[in-house]
Amino acid sequence: MAARTEMSTMGCNEFIGQLEDWLDGNRHPDARTHARECPSCRSVAADFDDIRGVAPALMVADPEPSPELWIRLRAQLEQEGIIRDGESVRTNAWTPAWLDRLLVAIPRPALAGAYLAALFAVAFGLSTALGLRTPESPNFALSAQLDSAEQTASSSMRDGKSLASASLHENLAIVDNYIALCENSVREEPDNEAARDYLYQAYQQKADLISQMTERGEPSR
Amino acid sequence: MNTQPIYMRNLSKSLYTGLCSRLGQPLSRKILRNGGRSAAARKTAGLKAAGWLACGFLIVGAAPAWADHVEKHFKVDSRPVITLHNPNGAVTVKAWTNSEVMVIASPASSDVEVDVEQTGNRVDIMTHPTSDSVADDELRADFEIRVPQDAELQIHDDSGAVSVNSVLGDMNVETVGAGVDLSDAAGYLSVKTIGGSFQCLRCAGQVEVSSISGNFRLLDMRSYHVRAQTSKGNILFNGEFIPNGFYDLKNYSGVIEVRFSPGDSFDLSATSLKGKVNNEAKLIPPTHQQHFYSRFGNSLFGSFNSGRAKVELSSFDGTINILKRN
Repeated sequence: MAARTEMSTMGCNEFIGQLEDWLDGNRHPDARTHARECPSCRSVAADFDDIRGVAPALMVADPEPSPELWIRLRAQLEQEGIIRDGESVRTNAWTPAWLDRLLVAIPRPALAGAYLAALFAVAFGLSTALGLRTPESPNFALSAQLDSAEQTASSSMRDGKSLASASLHENLAIVDNYIALCENSVREEPDNEAARDYLYQAYQQKADLISQMTERGEPSR
Repeated sequence: MNTQPIYMRNLSKSLYTGLCSRLGQPLSRKILRNGGRSAAARKTAGLKAAGWLACGFLIVGAAPAWADHVEKHFKVDSRPVITLHNPNGAVTVKAWTNSEVMVIASPASSDVEVDVEQTGNRVDIMTHPTSDSVADDELRADFEIRVPQDAELQIHDDSGAVSVNSVLGDMNVETVGAGVDLSDAAGYLSVKTIGGSFQCLRCAGQVEVSSISGNFRLLDMRSYHVRAQTSKGNILFNGEFIPNGFYDLKNYSGVIEVRFSPGDSFDLSATSLKGKVNNEAKLIPPTHQQHFYSRFGNSLFGSFNSGRAKVELSSFDGTINILKRN
């Protein structure tokens, strides 16, 4: 995405900054001009328009998505550099406000995964386009949150001693071990993108495992 | 099209009678051939009685397990979809030439029930308990399933084993600890296990497999797209590198082993961040800039022959072996 187009008086950052107004239908002439001239911003705006348009149709009974979904969302956003240490990245002040409002505005449907997937895609596109992915060394707040979720999941699991249950616990320990190894590696080499990728994949694996454990903890009969 | 639900919980009386007859007759014939008439007759009578008595014990002993035996046939069109949700058990799926799906289910006890239903061109199979008192490990059923070659499979089997042979349709298999064994498969093959191993023999099409602690063996492969990722597991790939194919193998620890032939043609990227890379292929160094990761860990980049396929091998602290095929 170009930092500023030649014909428009509005740049990409400004356009994104007023995206909430745009989505509400308050479209400034400069923003319209910019959207006409900048395919990337036009595409971003269209994506969010689509999300806003589709989300109500997906809503069934407005159930609360499971905590694991938000953990995954958080992991993904953190991986993409959109958020860090539990807070939104402040280098672009528009991000937290409108994204938070958008998340609030969009109903939480039973098919939450559908629009989360869309949000992931858009978040990825935005983070790449706006250069939000930074090589800064992460702190490992996510790891602590996953540990907390793990404790909750473990306590909610039935007392069953099934092979599957044993396997889940065994593999969770394996993933925990890799998380520790990868965190050490990232601390030692903060610029090592590969180590960070391994770390985030391990986080993702842990989130998936916790999700499965939680599902099994719910009454299934 | 048969849409009736099926519960064949009792083998017919005639089947038991037939079984007993088959047990008894060979015994009596053998005695008649080998012994004198009167003695043989007495022995025959005694053995027949013993045979029937044994059948009686067999019936009494086996009845509870057989009570939930399920067998059903469903007529299907081309490309039927078969779904299976089973907590635990051995699942064997084989292709046949019939335009029907056959399901033989053997639940572990009368507290376990198997539902098999057909909806249009889809057959859904599900194992569930009939009471709350069923222990997790008793919630088990074994399956023998026959499907048309072009069937699409969706299998969820937590524990036990999954074996699929000669099915050419798309496949999605998810397990926790169950191993998955595919042979002569094609289509889009998606396999996800937690701790289960995976073997793919003579598989074509597209293969995507992930696990945490499962070992993978990909043998005599003819697939143009393979993506395999396991954390604490070994990966062996011994197959054809198809031109324009993509082969991505990744683990955290363990051994990734790739076997190549002199005639293969691939672009190789192999990186182990903390482990070793052993290579027997004579690679042509790349002319373009090295991959970003190359300054960390042990990396190897280059083309073998004209580099028509793309092979990416990566490990965190495992060993990567690129070896000549024997």
